[in-house]
Amino acid sequence: MMPLAAPLLAATSMALLQNALIVGAILFALGLVGILTRRNLIVMFLSAELMLQGISVSLVAWSRHHGDWGGQVLVIFVLTVAACEAAVALVFVLQAFARTGRLDAAAWQALREAILVRSVDRELPPSDAAAASWPRLTPAGVLPERTADTPLEREHV
Amino acid sequence: MNPALPALSPGLILAGAVTAAAASLWLLLPRGSESPAARWLGLLLGAAALAGFVATGRRLGGLGEESVFLIVSLVAIVSGAATIVTRSPVYSAIWFALALAGVAGVLLVLGAQFLGVATIVVYAGAILVMFLFVLMLAQPSGLAPYDRVSSEPLLSAVAGAILLGLLTLAIGRLSTEPSLCCAVPSRSAAVTATPPGASTANDAAVVAVDPLAKDQVARLGAELFGRHLLAVEVAGVLLLAALIGAIAVVSRGEAALEEDRRTAIGRATR
Amino acid sequence: MPPLSPATLLVLVPLLPLVGAILTILLGRVLGSRAHLPAIAGIAAAAGAAVMLLLATANQVGSPHGSHQEPIRPVEMISTLWQWATVDEAYTPAADSAAAIPGTAVSRQPSDARSFSIPVALRLDPLTATMLTIITCVGLLVAIYSVGYMHDDPGYPRFFALVSMFVFSMAMLVAASNFLIVYVFWEAVGACSYLLIGFWFRKPEAARAAKKAFLVNRVGDFGLAIATFLLWMTYGTLDFHDTLSPDGTILPGILGQTRLADAAGIVGGVVGTAICLLLLLAACGKSAQLPLHVWLPDAMEGPTPASALIHAATMVTAGIYLITRCAPLFVACPGALSAVSIVGGTTALVAALIATVQNDLKRVLAYSTISQLGYMFASLGTGTMLGFTAAIFHLVTHAFFKALLFMGAGSVMHAMGGVIDMRRFGGLRRVMPITAATFLIGSLALAGVAPFAGFFSKDEILATLHSRGWPDAHSEHHDAAASPAVAAAVRQASVPVLFAAHSQTASQPLSTLDTPATFRTLFWMALVTAGLTAFYTFRAVFMTFTGPTRVPEEAGHHAHESPPVMTLPLVILAVPSALAGWWLFSTNWLAHFLSATPSLTAPSVAKTAAPHVFHMDLAIQGSLAAAIGIVIAAIGHLGRRSDAPQMERFLGPLQTVFANKFYFDQLYSALVVRPLEALAMVAALIDRYVIDGLVNGVATIPVVLGGIVRRLQSGLVQRYALAGVMGVLMIVLALAWQLRG
Repeated sequence: MMPLAAPLLAATSMALLQNALIVGAILFALGLVGILTRRNLIVMFLSAELMLQGISVSLVAWSRHHGDWGGQVLVIFVLTVAACEAAVALVFVLQAFARTGRLDAAAWQALREAILVRSVDRELPPSDAAAASWPRLTPAGVLPERTADTPLEREHV
Repeated sequence: MNPALPALSPGLILAGAVTAAAASLWLLLPRGSESPAARWLGLLLGAAALAGFVATGRRLGGLGEESVFLIVSLVAIVSGAATIVTRSPVYSAIWFALALAGVAGVLLVLGAQFLGVATIVVYAGAILVMFLFVLMLAQPSGLAPYDRVSSEPLLSAVAGAILLGLLTLAIGRLSTEPSLCCAVPSRSAAVTATPPGASTANDAAVVAVDPLAKDQVARLGAELFGRHLLAVEVAGVLLLAALIGAIAVVSRGEAALEEDRRTAIGRATR
Repeated sequence: MPPLSPATLLVLVPLLPLVGAILTILLGRVLGSRAHLPAIAGIAAAAGAAVMLLLATANQVGSPHGSHQEPIRPVEMISTLWQWATVDEAYTPAADSAAAIPGTAVSRQPSDARSFSIPVALRLDPLTATMLTIITCVGLLVAIYSVGYMHDDPGYPRFFALVSMFVFSMAMLVAASNFLIVYVFWEAVGACSYLLIGFWFRKPEAARAAKKAFLVNRVGDFGLAIATFLLWMTYGTLDFHDTLSPDGTILPGILGQTRLADAAGIVGGVVGTAICLLLLLAACGKSAQLPLHVWLPDAMEGPTPASALIHAATMVTAGIYLITRCAPLFVACPGALSAVSIVGGTTALVAALIATVQNDLKRVLAYSTISQLGYMFASLGTGTMLGFTAAIFHLVTHAFFKALLFMGAGSVMHAMGGVIDMRRFGGLRRVMPITAATFLIGSLALAGVAPFAGFFSKDEILATLHSRGWPDAHSEHHDAAASPAVAAAVRQASVPVLFAAHSQTASQPLSTLDTPATFRTLFWMALVTAGLTAFYTFRAVFMTFTGPTRVPEEAGHHAHESPPVMTLPLVILAVPSALAGWWLFSTNWLAHFLSATPSLTAPSVAKTAAPHVFHMDLAIQGSLAAAIGIVIAAIGHLGRRSDAPQMERFLGPLQTVFANKFYFDQLYSALVVRPLEALAMVAALIDRYVIDGLVNGVATIPVVLGGIVRRLQSGLVQRYALAGVMGVLMIVLALAWQLRG
């Protein structure tokens, strides 16, 4: 291990720093674009977590460069807070879903100016990714009672 | 620099890479129905952008080190891009898990062993599973209409590109202006000076970061519970508060939801 | 109490009514029905002071001698209160002497810089003393009369404050010794007149009449302003009196003794005539002469005591005063002098013609006032010492009997419950004997029946007109009555060529007017006017006081004699109306007294002094005209019902012309009022649409901008986040740009 470690240690810490920082910056930018763009609330949160990953990488890179524990400690706390945030945020997402019936960030437009009308999406052709592509399993156990017009999958809980 | 591209300066390559990244993101993001050609073009541009970044990256010393770093960082970045571009949110979550794996790899390369593993455990194991549960509960079958469109893809891509460009610029300057970053003397030199394991009782500054030390996690623990004990306790309380808060909101929210259903659903969404 | 010096008295005369006015304003509501006390006290004290000043000045002048043996010494006392405005070296003449104003008397040196200096200086000389006495005494009687007349009026304190303020302004006007101060108080009396005419401001006709009076006066004030500018440019000072400049030399005032003693001191020519004509314009405005006479009949909308004070005795005489004061200026421009006479004579005739068909008693008196003022102007325009003194003599007697007549009309109006149309009442001598008797005395004075006051003063005016119309006859006439030496002097004095001595190398404009033919015409016009005056006066008397007694129903229980507080001033005024003329004429006191006024001691004026003679032939002519007028009036109206068809219907279409006041009002309405209204409409449209449009347009800019920016607030969270990110990036970009390199 020592021969492997020596080149690593001998490598200019600046180069490692810069490369890792670039990676972190790219992840952060990707996360930012995701939050700004995707309308699904869950994907928005995933993008936020991606940003946090980028931050973590940057912090650890600095910590490695300085030879300090500060960055890693901070990342631990970031981790902690991210977990709390995810828990509480998902509760709110479910509440929002219960009110509007969908996970759309654009469903909430009530605070717009009075002169504007509600913005709706333009009509899209039906999706090509059909639900029919899901694999079918043979049913096991007792099937619940269903009539002809009971849908196979419910829209929402 | 890379001898393969002697005519172009690194700055120009980076600028081109950033622009290509923005264009590829724009092409790849869901914009209603677009042609497969656009998606292929986007992929191509994305690959070109990554190549540009790789080309202008700094040498790390050995082929092994370089290739390890390159692989894990590529995994992280490509998975990250796929996360935000995929239409189905479930696939998005899966790609996110892969991105976490890549990030964990980067963290390991950087010598933060505990954090690498903690990332996998906490994020992929707990947070991602929570997201999947919610998707299971709330996602309509098939692609919802709002998964197939984006909100201002062009401007967002441009904003991301500008941000990336600025950050890249600043990071590139670090090597030319070392005073910017290195006011604190590097502790790397202290690693070899201090024999591993020998640590004084009170002064945490002597505890050095040594990625190859066997008790690195113990050292991290010592640092955490030594210098940052208060913060750790507060973080624990925060976790407790989050837990209680989530339950409280849910239980109060159900009464409000009942009332909503009795009167008019979706009253807030006019 | 130590005897007050003339200087102190001179300050007290305007000051006490001012204090009275201020006290009335402050305490009016508190005093309630006693609000007249400060005003009457102030005016009474001022009257006392004025009489004392008159006596003091008379003492200085001395008693009239039998004949003119030595020239009269001018008597004046100047009291400078404070320096109002000074601008040192306000005007430095150009080094090039060709740029100097031609014909000016002041020697033009390049170093002859002028300072603009306005001292608040009061002067006391015979003319001022006379005017002050008239103003304050008639003012006092009018104020006492008003106590009864305005008894139940809600604006009681305001009336007395205004009357007091007016007496102050008029006193300052006649006492001021500087043209700018005169201008200030010229405007002040105009303002007081406006406030008094529009006293009952809620009545639209009164408000309109007040506005008309003020605006027409404004035209005259404009003339006075321009004249003041020209005077300063020509003479380098605006003071009447001589002042000492800081380096000890005398700065001759315009009408100061230094300048008047200098044969070439007064400027003639174009500049001089312009100044005189502008002063004439100002006097026409204030004294209601053609063509600015239209405001006086409408001014009868005001309370009758105000009419008695302002439009009979005092304010309208301001024009006469101004021209008399500026006598040397006018005498140096014979053309302007003749213009004065022509204006006066024409006005007298026109006003008398209009008065013959008026049925409103106050309107008759108003036109009568215009006509009598025209007489005074005609007299002033003859340019002789007799002319000036006769005008002032007539002013004094007119003040008495016209105030008497107006107050009598007010008494009638008060008793008839506000009705003043003569056709609606009659035979009032049985209802109001005292009013009737005093009114009759006043009418006799106005008509010029011997031996009442008007007879003598009108006779003197006819005499001076005759002397200018028939100069040779006049000199022969004088030969018989005076000593040869004096006769020679007088003959020389009455030769018209006299005025040529003052003509300088510059030509005298309007000199074609200055011919005996003009004055002959004026004499006959004056004679006809005398007859008309007697006619319309006695027509009014007969319609009102003779015939069957009829009282309109508005009178109610008012139809009785007025209370003593109103009849006492009538009686008091009847005395001088009856006797003053004879007394002043027989002693020749007034003429002698006035001839000591510095303005009239100027050689140009003093040369024309004639011995005091009673012209029997003119007296006969005048009395004959008056008698014819009275007889015709008696035939038409004595003893008849006042609403019977009038003899004026024999005039035919002329009656319509007279009744419409020669269509002056319609002419002015078409020429001046309508265009101004159109201009005002245009201005209003511009204000409403252009200016307000611009302002409102500017105000809508934020609204429009806001409307654009509003659309960013879409309610979509991701767009907000994008905006935030873009903002941060821009800031960072800007910072990076600043920190590059």
